[in-house]
Amino acid sequence: MGIGTVKKIGMAVVALGILMATVQPSYAIPAFARKYGLPCSACHEAWPKLNNFGITFRDNGYQLGKGRDAPIYQDPGYWPIAFRMTPQWHRESTSPRPLDAIPGNGGSGTVAGGITKSGLDISSIDMLVAGTLYKNVSFFAQPFLSDGGVFIGQMHIRFDNLLGSRWLNVKMGKFELDLPISEERSLTLDNTGGAYFNYQFRPVADSNVFGGIGNAQLGVELQGHSENSYTRYSLAMTSSSDGATGLAVNSTYNVFGNFTQGFELPKLGLQRVGVYGYLGQSPTYFQTVGGSPIAGTGTGNRSFYRAGAYGLWYLGKVDLSTFFEHGQDNVYLGNSTPANQPALLPVGAVGPSWNGGFAEAHYTYNPQLILISRYEILRMSRQANPGVRSELGNLDAWTVGYRWYPFMSSRAGLAWVQEYSHLVTQEAAPVFGTSEHKSSYVMGFDFDF
Amino acid sequence: MRTKNISTNCVVLLALLFSSVTSFAQQSHIGKLTGNAKQGKALYRRYCIFCHGPYGDGTGENAPYMDPKPRDFTKATFKCRSTPSGSLPLDSDLYDTISRGVHSSGMPSWRPLTRQQRADLVAYVKSFSSRFEEEKPGAALEIPPAPPNSAESAKHGAELFESMNCWSCHGKEGRGNGPNARTLTDSKGYPIVPPDLTSGMHFKCGDSDQAMFRDLMTGLDGTPMPSFSDAVKPAEAWDLVHYVETLHLNAKKGILVKAEPKGE
Amino acid sequence: MSMRFVSTILTGVLAAGAVSGGAPRAGSAPAPSAAVVKGTVKVQGAVPKATRIDMSQDPKCSPGHPGGVMTDDIVADGSSGLEDAIVYVSQGLGDAKFEPPKEAAVIEQKGCMYKPHVVAVRANQELKVVNSDTTTHNIHPAPNNNRESNQTQPPGAPLSMTFAREEIAIPVKCNIHPWMHSYIAVFKHPYFAVTGKDGSFEIGNLPPGSYTITAWHGKLGTTIQKITVGESETKTIEFVLKAQAGS
Repeated sequence: MGIGTVKKIGMAVVALGILMATVQPSYAIPAFARKYGLPCSACHEAWPKLNNFGITFRDNGYQLGKGRDAPIYQDPGYWPIAFRMTPQWHRESTSPRPLDAIPGNGGSGTVAGGITKSGLDISSIDMLVAGTLYKNVSFFAQPFLSDGGVFIGQMHIRFDNLLGSRWLNVKMGKFELDLPISEERSLTLDNTGGAYFNYQFRPVADSNVFGGIGNAQLGVELQGHSENSYTRYSLAMTSSSDGATGLAVNSTYNVFGNFTQGFELPKLGLQRVGVYGYLGQSPTYFQTVGGSPIAGTGTGNRSFYRAGAYGLWYLGKVDLSTFFEHGQDNVYLGNSTPANQPALLPVGAVGPSWNGGFAEAHYTYNPQLILISRYEILRMSRQANPGVRSELGNLDAWTVGYRWYPFMSSRAGLAWVQEYSHLVTQEAAPVFGTSEHKSSYVMGFDFDF
Repeated sequence: MRTKNISTNCVVLLALLFSSVTSFAQQSHIGKLTGNAKQGKALYRRYCIFCHGPYGDGTGENAPYMDPKPRDFTKATFKCRSTPSGSLPLDSDLYDTISRGVHSSGMPSWRPLTRQQRADLVAYVKSFSSRFEEEKPGAALEIPPAPPNSAESAKHGAELFESMNCWSCHGKEGRGNGPNARTLTDSKGYPIVPPDLTSGMHFKCGDSDQAMFRDLMTGLDGTPMPSFSDAVKPAEAWDLVHYVETLHLNAKKGILVKAEPKGE
Repeated sequence: MSMRFVSTILTGVLAAGAVSGGAPRAGSAPAPSAAVVKGTVKVQGAVPKATRIDMSQDPKCSPGHPGGVMTDDIVADGSSGLEDAIVYVSQGLGDAKFEPPKEAAVIEQKGCMYKPHVVAVRANQELKVVNSDTTTHNIHPAPNNNRESNQTQPPGAPLSMTFAREEIAIPVKCNIHPWMHSYIAVFKHPYFAVTGKDGSFEIGNLPPGSYTITAWHGKLGTTIQKITVGESETKTIEFVLKAQAGS
């Protein structure tokens, strides 16, 4: 099955998802909903995806701005915390993939096979700790609990409306970058179709520390917005540690910027377009002792960037998010070569570059039901090592699903979720000179309170 | 027979006309915008219903926890109007309130919604009271150009503050501690307190001079704040506005704060 | 026993006249066959004592009351006749339509009290609000079924208001002088009367038929009687409203 065929099928599925138009969702930090008495649907098109009212609320430092935001106006029993959980049944199958002909016998030769896993699962528990400390001073923390331990997804403090201007807001800590389309707020759950591959992409054999704009970063962000957040900007300076905590030697600072502009079209409503870019550096080798790298001593920094444009298009109950990204890494990063040993570079080595993007369509039947479909694509335009086949790393992924919110309140949210996704990775099974297909089905509940 | 047919047709035609007139009442007109109650209903159910309630009577599921209480649209009594006390507000008055929000209350600014969406909400909010079909809004208040703020004007305003008995609620010094301050209720019987004008507070219907002038002249219906349109002349109302500004000014130690820039 | 109570009895005896708010006047001469319903509204039980109103916050109020002024929420004479009750036809008129009278009803603010305490008007009849004081009032009716309005009224020209829908009765207050209360009753027909100082009322010009007659009082609630009147009949009925402790 050629890429063209896969694409055609993917597009057909997207179209079908729009046509089916019979199921849909709700949304997200019930601590805020409780505080203000607003339902999920006020801030979310379908939680966790924000609508423009929610974007404005967030941009204003989680404040409505009517003199009742400071915690002193809350009942003392109010606690700014919410939990999110996702019990589910999950089935995942991968095929073809290389397997030993006789399991357990590594010398028996390799054959193409398939692996299917299924079962009940719970992924993790997200804690959402967010609120105001005082007028224009707020905080946000998102630890998550899993079998592997407790992790800090995000944690930051922010100061809003500095000098009385909504164009000057600062936050500091670890945070999701002001992404074109928030990954934290993705409407899909599962790890084949849930994440945006473009947000996390690194070419095969690339040594870039930076994992992608989808990763929460340590940094300081300056952000500003117009009164209705139609115009917004974000400028962040981040540590080059890809969000890893702890101090590093020779750490440099990276820059991320995002600018978006919303505009109204008669009858259609608000549309939004934007551009963004991430410019950074990553170490190519470490200080060593006896040949072993000393942690946190990255050096030989080389640069990389990600940049692109996006649009959010609303056509009545249907909306479309479109995203494009171009990425490029330095030749040393792309070839995992220490910058102090250029001789180790393969002949004809260049910095790898690629293009990718996705289109995600939603049909919001009403605030309680949303249908989702997405098609994502990524194409290498230049391999770091000319000896590598040009398709290596290419991928196609599509997802269809729905979120149905059986009730809507300002205290808690529950979504019944089903989604099916399919991922085609080019040349991931080089033994067979073909591409790997991975499909995933998730049925579960996503709830928070 | 033929005559009967014609008259039947006439009846049908009239019925059609009438139905279009009825639906006209389900619209709002703000400048060039025409809001439609049908679209407004979907928006209302998404954004408004949890406070204002499915029937628009202000008894949404969060109403018990709110102070002040959400507006009851079925009464068609609105605070922020440019029309005389007791009359219906203009569509643009409702639009402005939705856009601006109401300070010191749970009502946020809905400017993040598109202009069209806000106009649609106005149309739907109007549909909760038959008064909007039976009556026309009152004549909009004319706001003459503001005379320059002077010590003399503010002094005259202070005299009016005394003679118009403003102090009986707002207090002799404007601190919201007049002899009646603790007796006041809104039209639903809930306690309501006059604002401390010296605290640098924000006015519910907007902070501009014109908004203060308008609120004085038309009153805040549903609250104890009366209309002064038959009691003072426009020039005197400006004097009162200037006096209240000096109270604000004192609060800010010489810095007159004009909060919340005007937007749409 | 207060001065006022004594004088109430006196005037009650002397005047003994019902304040008939309702009988149609110009343009509709009483039909020869019209019936009359009259009688008295009495209060049963202990009437809460009137209390002295403290008007000291506004010195412009007191000149009208050298001896002080008592609350007028419930006023009864020596034989329990209840003043300021409204007696009206609440059922039996069908869909009959009535034009409102041309002349205005009047409510006066005098000595920081409303005169009368209860005023009954017809739907769309003009109600003139007069300020005879030297202080500023605001007149603030809080209707359920009509428009709420709230006007400041300094000494000087009267205000005018109308109410479009029947409502019995709209509480009226002055936020500047929180002791000031009155009621405006709005009727869509002319068959009502406000009781006089002796509790008497008379509803005239009533077409023969069966009616439900309601007696209403702002503090004591309502009671009803069903009657049938024939041609030219004059029917006398008595209503009793119960005063409950604490009411």
